Amino acid sequence: MRKALSAVLLFSLITGLIGCSAGGSSDKSASGGDAAPATTTSAGESKDPVKLRIAWWGGQSRHDYTLKVIEMYEKQHPNVTIEPEYAPFDDYWKKLAPQAVAGGLPDIIQMDISYLSQYASRNQLADLKPFTDSGTLNVADVSENALKGGEVDGKLVALNLGVNALQTTFDVETMKENGIDIPSKDWTWDDMGKLGEQAKAKGFQIGGFAYHHEVFFPYYLRTIGQKMYSDDGKTIGYADDQAFIDYFTRYQQWYDKGYILSLDKEAQKKGVAEEDEIVLGHSISGIGWSNQFLAVANLVKDRPLELNPMPGPGTKEGLFLKPSMYFSIAESSKQKEEAAKFISFFINDIEANKLIKGERGVPVSSKVKDALKPILTENEAKIFDYVTWAESNSSPADPPNPIGSVEVEKLLRDLSEKILFKKIPIDQAAAEFRKEANAILARSQK
Amino acid sequence: MTMSTPKRVLYHVLVGIFALFMIYPILWLAASSLKPNDEIFSTAYSLIPSRLEFANYVSGFMGFGGTTFATFFKNSFIIVVLSTVGAVVSSALVAFGLARTKFFGQKFWFAAMMATMMLPQDVVIVPQYVMFAKFGWLSSFKPLIVPHFFGTPFFIFLIMQFIRTIPGELDEAAKIDGCSKYGVFYRVVLPLIGPALITSAIFSFYWRWDDFINPLIYLNSPDKFPVSLALKLFLDGESLNNWGGMFAMATLSLLPVVIVFFIFQKYIVEGISTTGLKG
Amino acid sequence: MKRLRDNEHLTGYVFTSPFVLGFLIFTLYPVLSSLYYSFTDYNLMEAPNWLGLDNYKRMFMEDDKIGKSFQVTFTYVLASVPLRLIFALFVAMILNVATKAVGLYRSAFYLPSLIGGSVAVSIMWQQIFGDQGLVNSFLNLIGIHTSTSWIGNPSTALWTLIALSTWQFGSSMIIFLAGLKNIPKDYYEAAGVDGANAVRRFFNITLPMLSPIILFNLTLQTISAFMTFTPAYIISRGEGGPLDQTLLYSLYLYRKAFSHFEMGYASALAWVMLLIVGFLTLLIFKSSTRWVHYETKGD
Repeated sequence: MRKALSAVLLFSLITGLIGCSAGGSSDKSASGGDAAPATTTSAGESKDPVKLRIAWWGGQSRHDYTLKVIEMYEKQHPNVTIEPEYAPFDDYWKKLAPQAVAGGLPDIIQMDISYLSQYASRNQLADLKPFTDSGTLNVADVSENALKGGEVDGKLVALNLGVNALQTTFDVETMKENGIDIPSKDWTWDDMGKLGEQAKAKGFQIGGFAYHHEVFFPYYLRTIGQKMYSDDGKTIGYADDQAFIDYFTRYQQWYDKGYILSLDKEAQKKGVAEEDEIVLGHSISGIGWSNQFLAVANLVKDRPLELNPMPGPGTKEGLFLKPSMYFSIAESSKQKEEAAKFISFFINDIEANKLIKGERGVPVSSKVKDALKPILTENEAKIFDYVTWAESNSSPADPPNPIGSVEVEKLLRDLSEKILFKKIPIDQAAAEFRKEANAILARSQK
Repeated sequence: MTMSTPKRVLYHVLVGIFALFMIYPILWLAASSLKPNDEIFSTAYSLIPSRLEFANYVSGFMGFGGTTFATFFKNSFIIVVLSTVGAVVSSALVAFGLARTKFFGQKFWFAAMMATMMLPQDVVIVPQYVMFAKFGWLSSFKPLIVPHFFGTPFFIFLIMQFIRTIPGELDEAAKIDGCSKYGVFYRVVLPLIGPALITSAIFSFYWRWDDFINPLIYLNSPDKFPVSLALKLFLDGESLNNWGGMFAMATLSLLPVVIVFFIFQKYIVEGISTTGLKG
Repeated sequence: MKRLRDNEHLTGYVFTSPFVLGFLIFTLYPVLSSLYYSFTDYNLMEAPNWLGLDNYKRMFMEDDKIGKSFQVTFTYVLASVPLRLIFALFVAMILNVATKAVGLYRSAFYLPSLIGGSVAVSIMWQQIFGDQGLVNSFLNLIGIHTSTSWIGNPSTALWTLIALSTWQFGSSMIIFLAGLKNIPKDYYEAAGVDGANAVRRFFNITLPMLSPIILFNLTLQTISAFMTFTPAYIISRGEGGPLDQTLLYSLYLYRKAFSHFEMGYASALAWVMLLIVGFLTLLIFKSSTRWVHYETKGD
């Protein structure tokens, strides 16, 4: 042991004396393993071979099927090699930022609605219009509404891969067993309060908004004909703080009566389906996006769960089809045409979508949706049916959130905590939210 | 030190109970890795699986889209071994230079070294990335290995402090015997700082093994990913997760660090330099 | 004589050259860049605009999260560093005996420091400090009935982080063990002859001889406590909640840099942190002349 160690040290000491080449020599041995791929990078000389980089976030199942779809595409286009880059959601954005700075974004980038404005308005994303016009990116079977979700400042910078809609989940069997009334499709906030009361009496709770007021407060604003952000994205979009006060007053009443899970218990959740309160049998309902239904419903094996619309009044005005995620093409990409071809394949190819199976949201292509129906599981079919219903019972989505919205959402979350922990009166929180949010937006929209 | 029998029994009972408390998380991790997927959450409080699910290790080891954990482990070993050797060797040299020679700018370089540890990584990540991009080092192990051959502040400071516990008279004596500074380093100091070098090696091994933020940023292709990064790829909030596979691989990934520690820890205490001079 | 001294300069630089070169090649540019960004509105995607001292003004005049964040961070540092060091030294002393099982014990005590920041830890932590976790089960057993979630409760959340940090005392323990090993045995033998008891041996020999290592651990643990990120991140999902009670400074900085893309402001935050930690380190070093005992005088 000692001899080996001193030998290494002696060696380095000697090489160190001759100008410190320790770094240089190790450098060679380190790069030995990856010399091969490095050389292929520069082999893009001839016309035919194409190399595309594609990046997405997700978990194991998404990685697995996406890699299979890529393999399928490579088989059909032998000249194309696709290099996948994938990461979990949080890490994905940390990885993407330096790539953008160095001008080395992947050709195809999976985009999220909350980051879309950041990247688009700072000229990182290519305009897809020329490709949809030429048909390279075939959007013949995609509705105008779904396409619009990828526009920023009138430019199509991201292609919607699927849609979700807000929904409530009911554990119908448990409700029936306990004599709890199952609300109708056109239920209201008052009905939700009653549901909470009935559930509480039987020792259950109902699903609350957890920390996601950034989703449900804008929904409420839409139901009363208001919106979260102004059109130019420079200020808060609603004029009267009464909306804020009404929304949180109602929620706080439910919270204080113990209808919904207390915040300290909510805080220890990691956001995985396994800890969902319905799965645990504590709650008779849940509230969230339609795609979240699948994991929860699959875990509850002994009783069926059902999707129901959100409470109203004004459900139709409030509901909208949310682009679940997008593919964008980097402005810096040198192979935009080839990238567009792949995206076109991804959203239109039936066989590919049999692998994807709506995991990235209910597909935007009507043809794909029809083709998938026969192979869906019962729970998947419920989601498709609900989203199809929502297509004709919703209103166009708001434009993607302005820059600074991530910070505004954090502010809303912090204030909601203060409200529920009774650290601040609601009207004061409403005023503070307006003041601070406007300051954030003003700072971000310089 | 020798203890009487009752004292020894008491010692083992107390330390043993404390040790059990300390390794609870590892037991929990190992137990979870052997539970069926749906049991991991529902019986998280229990350390005993209803049945042993070794299939988790198989499904976890498969990795992602054909890249298995064999590849991830291999990558980790390449990165970790090279950067650890580089870090320990270079840090020992630098530490000796800072602790035992007097030269112009010595204080400045010591301050620079300390300051390097105090600046949060988050704000240097981006310029560093741009720099490595200019070097043409992206998508390779170079950004993860090469910088470690230039000394790691933590280890430099650690080794310095150990060198400073060595009596200066030893240096003088060696000088009188005709040793140069290089000789002093190799013959006098090196044999006496064994525990510090081993400690540095253990830490370096673990830190590099556990590091995922640098691999995340500098490596693109999954077949270059180390284990730490691959482990993170299992999870996704909204979909059904292969918890069993994740826990199985998390447990497996601990093995090398535990083994390395167990082998090397005895050198810390027994010392590799028992023949060294005593004060 | 002059030649000799020149040689010493050269020798010094030969030995330190790896660090000097590494600093110039790998560290200087990123560090200076971040300093420059701290005076700009850099948002990663667009060229930065010069703002002068605006970011720093904003920190101290407008940003009311900063105060909270400092409070949380200082509480964390002041509680976790001494706890960790005391535990580490105590356990190192216990394990510095020649027993066959001691290698196993050492490994057991080091293990918690090895589990890092994976999702597995956060799930496990929830099992320990959650509403139905181990801690509550234990409390119920001894007659204290509670179903609070220690992680989710604003008044206890930070203390679960401090507990986690204390529990991971392994790395400091290893360094102490290595330090104890370096104390020549004949010092104790000499003291034994004089009939000194264990307490006096500890205070008269162990502590002074170990003081350079204590200085090291104190400095490094203070620096790293200020930079603690992972446990807070995994326990509060990066939010610093509940009620900002776990909003450690580096968590706040991370959020500014990578979720709000305010790299300019984040850089200003980083430099203020550097100054604070640098100042504290300087204080520790200044005070060390009173309590750290080096074998080499004058160096």
